[in-house]
Amino acid sequence: MNKIFGNPDRSLVAKLIIAIGVLMVIVSFIFWYAILQKQQQDIRSIAVKYGDSFLAFIKQSTHYSMLTLDSAKTQEAVEHLSSPDVIKEVNIYDHGGTIHFSSSEERISSTVVKTSLACTACHEDPEKSSALLNERMRWNVTKDPQGVSSLSLVSVIENEKDCYTARCHVHPQNQKIIGFIKADFSLGLLDVALHKQKEALSLYVAIFVIIVSLFVGFIIYTMITRPIRVLIAGMEKIAGGDLDHSVPITSGDEMGVLARSFNAMIKDLKEARDQREKWTQTLEEEVARKTEEIRKTHTSLVQTEKLASLGRMAAGVAHEINNPLTGVITFAHLLRDRFPDKSQEVDDLNVIIEQSERCSKIISNLLTFARATPSEKGSCDINEVLSRTVFMLKNQEKFHHIKFDVDMDEAQFIVFGDASQFQQIFLNMFINAADAMEKRGKITVATRRVKEKGKDFVEIEFSDEGCGIKEEDMSKLFEPFFTTKPIGKGTGLGLSVSHGIVKHFGGTLKVESTVGKGTSFFVRLPLSETHQ
Amino acid sequence: MKKILIIDDEQIIRTSCERTLAPKGYAVTSAASGAEGLALLEKEPFSVVLLDFKMPDMDGMEVLKKIQASSSSAKVIIITGYSNVDTAVRALRSGAYNYIEKPFTPDKILSAVKEAIDDLEEK
Repeated sequence: MNKIFGNPDRSLVAKLIIAIGVLMVIVSFIFWYAILQKQQQDIRSIAVKYGDSFLAFIKQSTHYSMLTLDSAKTQEAVEHLSSPDVIKEVNIYDHGGTIHFSSSEERISSTVVKTSLACTACHEDPEKSSALLNERMRWNVTKDPQGVSSLSLVSVIENEKDCYTARCHVHPQNQKIIGFIKADFSLGLLDVALHKQKEALSLYVAIFVIIVSLFVGFIIYTMITRPIRVLIAGMEKIAGGDLDHSVPITSGDEMGVLARSFNAMIKDLKEARDQREKWTQTLEEEVARKTEEIRKTHTSLVQTEKLASLGRMAAGVAHEINNPLTGVITFAHLLRDRFPDKSQEVDDLNVIIEQSERCSKIISNLLTFARATPSEKGSCDINEVLSRTVFMLKNQEKFHHIKFDVDMDEAQFIVFGDASQFQQIFLNMFINAADAMEKRGKITVATRRVKEKGKDFVEIEFSDEGCGIKEEDMSKLFEPFFTTKPIGKGTGLGLSVSHGIVKHFGGTLKVESTVGKGTSFFVRLPLSETHQ
Repeated sequence: MKKILIIDDEQIIRTSCERTLAPKGYAVTSAASGAEGLALLEKEPFSVVLLDFKMPDMDGMEVLKKIQASSSSAKVIIITGYSNVDTAVRALRSGAYNYIEKPFTPDKILSAVKEAIDDLEEK
């Protein structure tokens, strides 16, 4: 019950029930009062009718003894006809108000006071006997000290032919009224019945009010309070962030419409939130991606710078070492020529020559790497740098058995950067290609203009027919010191330095490879804006 | 006998070339600087000049240009470090006959010189 009504301060149902209850109590009370009043009135008029009949009966009963002036008989009849429970007293008066016969013998011969009902029933003012009332107030109801009410009823005894023709000649013919009769009836039993009825009616009214209030309360609870509670619970859940919640729609009335609009609102809210979360996530991903990119670029720059200074130092050393090394190689050869073939000395000198040549390779690699050092920047014609590199390489022993398939776009591709660094990239590509093909085969070189993210790039393709790159090596390809070449053949710096240079000038370096078929490197460099 | 001039500031390179070429019947003369080499070229004709590109007093490119400008018909072979391929290419365009990378073997010197002399004789 408490759940239904709750605190009157906060519960709609409690307020409504109190209001309806109060209204019903007031209306019921009015009806209750009206019904009781009407009933009392009806009962009294019935009592008066019965009383009248009784008075008529007394008149009839005493008629004969009156005519015969048999006072004793008349008195006896009056006494017999009264009963203390119901008919408390019966008095017969003469016209002057003196009691001639009475159920209470002691009252005989006493005269009634003029204000009593016996007189006022007919006379407006008993002193003026001629002023008669239009409507006779023949009865009244009084209450004795015990609270028992009694009905006093007066009936006039009119002069009849029998009376004035009787032998006694007491009443002349012109006398209209010879006297009157008054009886007092006890209404105690009726009072009790009325009281019981009052109690029963009060009970019925109370039960009616309670039942109607409960019913109204239940109806309001099921139709309004419960759906509203469900809505409130839903709103609290939504306020708590649970947007997957929806309110069940159980009716087609206004509550159902409200629940439907509520659900639609939550759906919109959820969509908006999801959208926002998606944006946030995208943003976070983008930030993470950019951060990683910056970190990589930074690492690459640090690496490039480190390698560049190392390279400058190595280059200086390498140049100086080349001269004494030439001496060692030359004189080892000269000395070897002096010994007979297959002698121990020749073998030993061959070791010196081989090892010196190994030194020479190491220095050569160091110098290749050293070329990554930053130098002068300017506008470079990529086709020109590329053809110069190819021209130079054709004379190299390493490339003697390699065919160059050059397919350059006729357009001029001007890139802002360092020509020697670009040349180094190209050299690396060619050297790697030659190594991959074991110095035999065809290298395809092509230049073309491409568009990427709305910008113009020149793409330089280097394709070989070599061994290809294994899948597991792909990710490490641009790492410094990563090499698949035999010890002493490669420093593992070529591609990492190339990658660093390409990145430095805003380009990209991509690779496609199939093991056993060959590899293609694609160098993209941004075209100088003034030459696009 | 074919006359060959070596211009190099490094003693060991000069000696290496002399010791490689002399036994094969070439008359070898050495110069320790660009200026000295140019002076020798003015005095007598040489078939082949072995020219170091990196010298303290005079740049090999400058010496090459001067030889080209002179009446000498000598074939010039550039001796260069690997990292200087770029300059070697420039030298070839400026009229050098060939180039050899340091460090070189006697065979490389001999074949380069022989090639140059053959070419010279064909003309």
